[in-house]
Amino acid sequence: MESHGHRAAAVLAGSWLSCILRAPRVGALQEPLLEDAGLENISWAAEEAPGNDSSEHAFFSLDYQHVQVPFEITLWIMLASLAKIGFHLYNKLPSVVPESCLLIFVGLIMGGIIYGLNDRSPPVMDSDIFFLYLLPPIVLDAGYFMPSRPFFENIGTILLYAVVGTIWNVFGIGFSLYGICQVKAFRLQDVSLLHNLLFSSLIAAVDPVAVLAVFEEIHVNEKLHILVFGESLLNDAVTVVLYKLFRSFCEMPTIKSVDVLAGVGKFFVVGLGGVLVGLSFGFTAAFTTRFTKDIRVIEPLFVFLYSYLSYLTAEMFHLSGIVAIISCAMGMKRYVEANISLKSHTTVKYFMKMWSSVSDTLIFIFLGVSTIGENHEWNWPYICFTVIFCLVWRALGVLVLTFLVNRFHVNTITSKDQFIIAYGGLRGAICFSLVFLLPDFHRKKLFIAATTVVILFTVFIQGMTIRPLVDLLAVKRERESAPTVGEQIHIRFLDHLLAGIEDISGHWGQYYWKDKLEYFNSKYLQKILLREYDQPKSSIVLLYEKLERKHAIELAQAGCSSFLCSSSDRTVITDQKLEDTPNPDVLDNMQEILARNLYRIRRTGPAYNRHTLPGDSEPTERAKEILILRHTNLLVEMAGSDTCSSRKESQKEDSCSAQGEATPQVRLCRSFTVGNTEKVREVKENRSKSVCAIPPAQPSGQTWGGRKELSLEMYKHKGCSGSPGGV
Amino acid sequence: MGSRASTLLRDEEIEEIKKETGFSHSQITRLYSRFTSLDKGENGTLSREDFQRIPELAINPLGDRIINAFFPEGEDQVNFRGFMRTLAHFRPIEDNEKSKDQNGPEPLNSRSNKLHFAFRLYDLDKDDKISRDELLQVLRMMVGVNISDEQLGSIADRTIQEADQDGDSAISFAEFVKQVLEKVDVEQKMSIRFLH
Repeated sequence: MESHGHRAAAVLAGSWLSCILRAPRVGALQEPLLEDAGLENISWAAEEAPGNDSSEHAFFSLDYQHVQVPFEITLWIMLASLAKIGFHLYNKLPSVVPESCLLIFVGLIMGGIIYGLNDRSPPVMDSDIFFLYLLPPIVLDAGYFMPSRPFFENIGTILLYAVVGTIWNVFGIGFSLYGICQVKAFRLQDVSLLHNLLFSSLIAAVDPVAVLAVFEEIHVNEKLHILVFGESLLNDAVTVVLYKLFRSFCEMPTIKSVDVLAGVGKFFVVGLGGVLVGLSFGFTAAFTTRFTKDIRVIEPLFVFLYSYLSYLTAEMFHLSGIVAIISCAMGMKRYVEANISLKSHTTVKYFMKMWSSVSDTLIFIFLGVSTIGENHEWNWPYICFTVIFCLVWRALGVLVLTFLVNRFHVNTITSKDQFIIAYGGLRGAICFSLVFLLPDFHRKKLFIAATTVVILFTVFIQGMTIRPLVDLLAVKRERESAPTVGEQIHIRFLDHLLAGIEDISGHWGQYYWKDKLEYFNSKYLQKILLREYDQPKSSIVLLYEKLERKHAIELAQAGCSSFLCSSSDRTVITDQKLEDTPNPDVLDNMQEILARNLYRIRRTGPAYNRHTLPGDSEPTERAKEILILRHTNLLVEMAGSDTCSSRKESQKEDSCSAQGEATPQVRLCRSFTVGNTEKVREVKENRSKSVCAIPPAQPSGQTWGGRKELSLEMYKHKGCSGSPGGV
Repeated sequence: MGSRASTLLRDEEIEEIKKETGFSHSQITRLYSRFTSLDKGENGTLSREDFQRIPELAINPLGDRIINAFFPEGEDQVNFRGFMRTLAHFRPIEDNEKSKDQNGPEPLNSRSNKLHFAFRLYDLDKDDKISRDELLQVLRMMVGVNISDEQLGSIADRTIQEADQDGDSAISFAEFVKQVLEKVDVEQKMSIRFLH
């Protein structure tokens, strides 16, 4: 009985894997393992049956096959999630080893167990499952929460890296590997140039999943984050084209130059076609949500359905599915968020994060599982050179391209940033799946082995060492000479000043297109895609009012009120005698205090985070703090002097212009609705009475509403577009 | 440029601005398009509201002061000339300019003028000194709510003490320059590379 149970368990374990990994084919029951399991189960049940007098009334029976597929899928997801909990229980571990490494490790262990029990290779992750089920949630999450402002500001650079950089890498690695193959000693002569190019086309592309997973651990500034991240997402178009191109070339007897030109043309079709497909689905989704007022509960579903459809449609036409789903998400986001209720909005955000998190975990575990086995041919020279060339060509590509970029841009990319971009080019599961999709030829196992090693190398070695290296580089710069307290302050002062002037002066050309787009948007798109304005906002307005009040109270308790009192005492402070020489301890303490508390310039926080919702992170808190401080400053001045003509504060998003157009003649005196509510109400009374350019006929309620909408617009903008980073 | 610009820039105006600020022709037209895109009222001048409409400026701790720097004393509107004049402070110093004629008026983007601009942002009452109060105000703007007033006061005291050489418990312009120049490459830091 014991051995029977043991064997059954082993078979079950094996059948779990084979089932989950070949889910689309489970109906065919082709796997012998599956048959064994099936037979085992049936025989087991059959064994039990004679034991009972009447099998129809058995109290306890086992019918595993009935639930096999969903059961195993759920068990895998459960394993993945429990693994995640396990990591975070040990606080120190995630800081040293990135989560992706740990997950691959778990996968390796699972693969090893299965291999040991079954004595044959565990089945590999099916490429279909990866591309159709596991990848879309991650990309959708990335596209939806992509902060659009930094993304579009840097779109030129991102496209340059994604397109030109990837092509550079592909051809560089391909030709170098071909050169290696020529060396007689390595016994690789039969790997043709075309095969090498095919291999390099799938290994050259940076993987968004892996990049995301590692960049969350290191804290880089927003611009850098968006560069690497955007590049890893957009290079999918190039990868798809080149991969398919070379693959079709492999099967063609002769290659004419026409075919090469067709390939180049195909690239534009794939990229732009993906964008078009995505945008059309995105706008359809926005249009659909216009009518969902009465059935709020299924609103989140539309977001997911349309995005997934756009991905599948693009894949159907052999366009780039990743680009499609990203453009769908970015296109529909603005309108959908205005149309759907707040609860649906929260649901959408949470579900996206949840699914992408699960997907991410599963991918890494499967990566680990699929590594074990007999699928590899270990030709060490080829593999080592592949790894070396990947690193070298990426570094060269980044250097050259950054040199080009820096000539045209205001914010130059420093060499530290360049190092991070080059070193952060991680490969991941996309390469892995693509290599399994290769046509079967006798060297395929070599490629599989090389891909596996590259992925493991990049994820483990590069993933684990990038953070210490970044810290090392940062520390090195600062060691030169510690700034004095005054210098710290002045330098930060100048930073803020420059950031402000940059924002005022704008960057070249960008605002022209942005304004054109806004114009088009307000004239046509908003009319079609958005519901009427009044209704959705009222519920949101109420909620934000509640949130702001809560925040204001918290801040008041934290000491803002003391600040208000002290500022009015400012004039009473007499000259203090300066100490002769303060202690060095006090000095260090000051510098540390300043270093910790001075507001950073915006754009120094990560642009996108897998695990937290935007609006929950620290930079938004800081932004709110600054707003509150400025507003309380304003209040203090207002209380002091009655004239506010030079102190009107109005915050308005450009997208609010449509609403502003409704009352063009009136210049409302708008302000934030933060701060103590009593004080604000009192001030509001003052203002509406005497000072600002509000026509007396304006009912105060509407002013209040207008104010709300504007501050909420700003908050929503900041919150939903991924926050502008710390200031 | 743009369908909403009511007044186009005339060539002689461009020439004048070029002479005064040193920007090139293309830079001036580009900044003019930026000016008109900010000018929602389409009356050829910017008000404080127009500036405050820039979202990033709202969460810049020094936002209000920077905006005020654009407006001449006591006025509420700034025209394009004034806009350019302020921005000219941040034009990078080119090498060939450094050895230009010493007889002419100092260009707006000289190092001394750049530092003056920054100094004026600290010194609100325009007495050519940064007093302790003014420093405290700026510090409070730049720092979060976690720092108590005493700590902030001691930081301000320390700053003044480091810089003060003539013992008046305030930072004069010369002392400010000295304090900043030790660490900061002003020409590089206070310049924005406008696209040619």
